[in-house]
Amino acid sequence: MNYIIILIISAIAQYFLPWWVIAPISFLIGAWKSASALKAYAAAAGAIATLWLGYATFLNMSNDGIMVQKIGGLFSENLKFLKNMPITPTFLAIMTIIGSQVAGLSATAGYHFKALFK
Amino acid sequence: MKFVKFIVSLIAALGLTLLLNGPLGSIPALGRLFSPFEGFWQNGEDKTTLPPANLQLEGVNDEVNIVFDDNRVPHVFAKNDHDVYFAQGYLVARDRLWQMEFYTLAASGRLSEVVGERALELDRYNRRMGMADAAKKVYENGKTNKIFDEVLNAYSAGVNAYIKQLKYKDLPVEYKIIGYQPEEWSPYKTILMMMNMRNVLNGGSDDFRMTNALSKYGMDVVKDLFPDYPSNESPIIPTGTKWNFTPVSVPQTPAQITANLSTSESVAFNIPSHSPEIGSNNWAVGGEKSATGLPILANDPHLQLTLPSIWYQMQLSTPTMNVYGACLPGAPGVVIGFNKDVAWGVTNVGSDVMDFYQIKFKNNSKKEYWYNGAWKPTTMRVEEFVVKGKKEPLKDTVYSTHHGPIVYNIASEKNLNQNVPVSHAMRWVALEKDGTDLMAFYYLNRAKNYDDYRKALTYYIAPAQNFIFASNSNDIAITPNGKLPLKWKEQGKFIMDGSNPAHDWQGWIPTEQNPTVKNPSRGFVSSANQFSADPTYPYYLGWKFAPSERAIRINERLEKMQKATIDSLRMLQNDNFNVEARRILPELIKILNTDASLKNSSAYQTLAKWNMKNDANEIGATIFERWVREIRYAIWEDDFSMKNDKSPMNYPSRDRTWELIVKQPTAQWFDNTTTKDKHETMQDIVKSSFQASIDSLTKKFGPMNASTWAWTNVKSTDINHLGRLAGFGRQDIPNGGGSGIVNATTELNGPSWRMVVQLDKGWPKAYGLYPGGQSGNPASHFYDNMIDKWAKGELNELLFMKSKDEKSSRISATMTILKK
Repeated sequence: MNYIIILIISAIAQYFLPWWVIAPISFLIGAWKSASALKAYAAAAGAIATLWLGYATFLNMSNDGIMVQKIGGLFSENLKFLKNMPITPTFLAIMTIIGSQVAGLSATAGYHFKALFK
Repeated sequence: MKFVKFIVSLIAALGLTLLLNGPLGSIPALGRLFSPFEGFWQNGEDKTTLPPANLQLEGVNDEVNIVFDDNRVPHVFAKNDHDVYFAQGYLVARDRLWQMEFYTLAASGRLSEVVGERALELDRYNRRMGMADAAKKVYENGKTNKIFDEVLNAYSAGVNAYIKQLKYKDLPVEYKIIGYQPEEWSPYKTILMMMNMRNVLNGGSDDFRMTNALSKYGMDVVKDLFPDYPSNESPIIPTGTKWNFTPVSVPQTPAQITANLSTSESVAFNIPSHSPEIGSNNWAVGGEKSATGLPILANDPHLQLTLPSIWYQMQLSTPTMNVYGACLPGAPGVVIGFNKDVAWGVTNVGSDVMDFYQIKFKNNSKKEYWYNGAWKPTTMRVEEFVVKGKKEPLKDTVYSTHHGPIVYNIASEKNLNQNVPVSHAMRWVALEKDGTDLMAFYYLNRAKNYDDYRKALTYYIAPAQNFIFASNSNDIAITPNGKLPLKWKEQGKFIMDGSNPAHDWQGWIPTEQNPTVKNPSRGFVSSANQFSADPTYPYYLGWKFAPSERAIRINERLEKMQKATIDSLRMLQNDNFNVEARRILPELIKILNTDASLKNSSAYQTLAKWNMKNDANEIGATIFERWVREIRYAIWEDDFSMKNDKSPMNYPSRDRTWELIVKQPTAQWFDNTTTKDKHETMQDIVKSSFQASIDSLTKKFGPMNASTWAWTNVKSTDINHLGRLAGFGRQDIPNGGGSGIVNATTELNGPSWRMVVQLDKGWPKAYGLYPGGQSGNPASHFYDNMIDKWAKGELNELLFMKSKDEKSSRISATMTILKK
C-alpha cells in the first residue's frame, strides 16, 4: 500500500517541486504506517525505483536514446571505467540507485521517528 | 536505542539527499541531474516534437506568425520592426540560449564564475583587453540612434521573454551539467557578442615577435625576410583599378619607427598571432559570366567549428523587409544573406588594427607615464573576479594610457624588482567606442540596390570585413570595409614608442576611401583574406595578410568560368586544388631526384604521382602538407624560433620561403646553426625534412597505407562542443581541404556557413548550410544534422518564402505569438 501511495504522491509532487521532495514524502509515509524498518525502506525504494525507471525509460525511448548517450560520453571522459559499460542500462541503474536510496533511507528514518513515540 | 536508530537513519537519509543535491568537485549535483522529472532526461527531444502552436507573450505589439521548415529554420512574419526582432530574440534563445550567453561570459571575462579557477587566466586576459568596458560604452553612445536602440531592446525583450518561462527542467542541458542559471539578456550583451567576433577576427598581433626579430637581426634582414607585400599575390581590388578619390594626407613617417629596442629586448607576450585558418572566401560573378545573365554570389566564412554552430538560419519578414540568411546567436538581424533584390557576404580583412606601445612609467605605482616630454596620468580600473568555488573575489588592477590598456607582459611581471618597469599599452580598433555596427546589417537586410549597400557600409566599424555584394540590377561589388587607422608606412609592424606622439594613431582613412570596386571588367569580384589592394593604394593597411593561395585559385577559376550556375560556384567552394604544391612541388621533387634511396621510396612515388589535390583520400596531400611544414621548421626554427619562451619570433611566410628556395638557394638561412661543424645546404634541408616527415608519419600512422595515411585521417577534422564538453561534439569528419585550400577545412577550423545565391528579377534561388544544426540541444535530431551533407560538399536549398501563407511541402510546423 505504502508503495502505491509514495509512487502516486511523488509522481504528482515532482511535477511542481524539486527532485528531493521524494525524501520528505518517503519520510512521512514511512512514519505514517510501516510495519517495520525494512518494509518502510522497501516500499519507498521500490516506489521511486519504479517511478524513475519507468518515466526515464519512456523519455529515453521517445528521444531514441540520444541524450543518455551524450551524457554517457561526457561522464566516461572523467570516469574511465564507464567506457566499457553499456551506457543506457548503466545510467538507468545509477539513476535508480540515487532515487531509491534517497527514498528508502528517508522512509527508514520516518519509521524510526515514529518509533520514538511508541 | 530508539533515538540512536532514528538519528543514524536520519543522518543517512539527510546526508545522502544533501550530498546528491550539490556538486562534488567537478561532478555536478547528481540528484537533480539524474531525476527524470528535472534532469537531463527532460532534455531529450522527440523527433516529432513540434513547437507550441500558440504562445501569448508580453512584449509583442501585434500577432507574429512563424513557419518552421523541415530543417527547423524559423521563418518569421511580423507586422512591424519591433515584433520581428522580438521574435528573433525569442526563437534564437529557444534554440541557442546557453551558447549566446557563453559568448558574452567569455568576452566579458566572467567564465570563472561558472566553471571555476581553470578559466581564470583566460578571464584575466579578456578583462585586460577591456572588451566588457568598451561594450558598455558602445551601447551608451549607440543608443542615441533611435533605431539601433529599439532593435537591440526588442531583441533583448524577446530573449528575456523566453528566459522568464524557464524552469530548471527546461534549461539547456549545459546549465544543468555545469550548474548555473541563465542571466537576463540586455543590449550590452548583444554588443559583447559582437566584441567576441572582433576578438576572434581582429584580436591577433605579431608586433612582439617582429620586434624580437628586429632586435636580433636588424632592419635589413627583417625587410628582406618579412616584406610588406608578397611576391605572389592576387589582391581583392584587381590591380589596375583606379582610385577615384583624392587621398587625405598621411602622417609623416618618423625617423625612429620602433620603441627603444634595448629596453624592449626579449619581450615574451601572450598575444597570439592571427590564426591564418580563421579566414573566409566570398565571390560574386556578374551577369555576363552567369547562365542566367544575372549575378550569383557565394560566401563561406571560415571560423573555428563548434557545436552548437556559430550560425543560425532565419527568415525575417515585415511589410518593409524580407530577408533570409545566417544570424549570430545574440545579435539581431541577418549577418550574411539575401533578400528579393540583393545578396551580400563577408570575409575578414587582415589589416593591422592592434598595436603595442612601450610605456615608461615614472615609478612602480604606474600612476604616471612619459609622453611628449611630460608625465601624463594613467587611469586605473580594478577588475573583480568572482570565482566559482572561492569565497573571496579576486582583484586585478588594470592601468590605461591614452593609447589603451596596459596588457600584461610576462617579462616585466616576473621582473618586479626593476625600478622603472617597462610595460606595453595596446591600441586596438575593437575598443573603439563609437559607431553602431549592427546598423550596417540592418540596412543591408533592407537594401534594394548598390546605393543602399554603400550607405549601409558607412555604419560599420569592426572587425573590418570584405563586404561583397550582388544585385538583380546586375551590379556586383566588393569593399574591404570598417574603421581603418590612417597609418604611416609600417606603423605598428613593431612595438612602438608610447612617449612619441608621432607613433599615435593619428586619424582614420575616410570611409568612402576604403578600397572598393564595382562591376570590374573581369566580370567578378572575390576575396579570400588576401591583401585588400596592391601597393598603389595610397594608404598603409598592414604588412601581412592571409597567404594568397586561396585567392589565386579562386580568381583563376572565376577568370575561366563562363555560364556559371549555382552548382559551379558550389564546386568552387569545394575546390581542393593545392596552389602551393603547383608552385613548389616540382622544385622540391627535383631535389629528391638526386638521391637514389629517396627516389625509390614508396612515399616519393606516391608524391610524384599525386594530382595536387587535397582530396580526402589522397596520400600525396598528407606527405606534401607534412613535408612543407617540416621544411619551414628546418629552415627557420634555428634562426627565428617560434618555440623560444623568452624571445619568440615568427617564421618568414611560406611565400618568402619558396621564393628563397627558388631564387636564393645559397642563402645563409638554410644552414642549421645548431649543428656546429656542419654546413647544411638548401638541398640537405629539403631532403632531410622529407625523411623526417615520412618518419614521423610512420611513427604515428604505421607504414604507408591507403586508409591510415589518407589526408582525411591525418588531418582529422573535429567539431567540438563550444564548452569543450566531451561527447557533445563530432570527431573525425571525413573530408579534404586544408589551410591554403579554397575548401579551407583544417583540424578545427573550416567553412562555418556555405551559401550560394542566384539573383533574379523575380525571386532569388539560394542554397546553403553549416556544419551543425539549428538546435543547440545535444539531444535534438537537429543538433548536427547538416554535418554529413556539409562534409560531402553538398548544400541545402533554402526555403525563402514570399508570405506566411505560401504553400510548401517543406513546412513542418507553424507558431503564432499573440500579445498577452
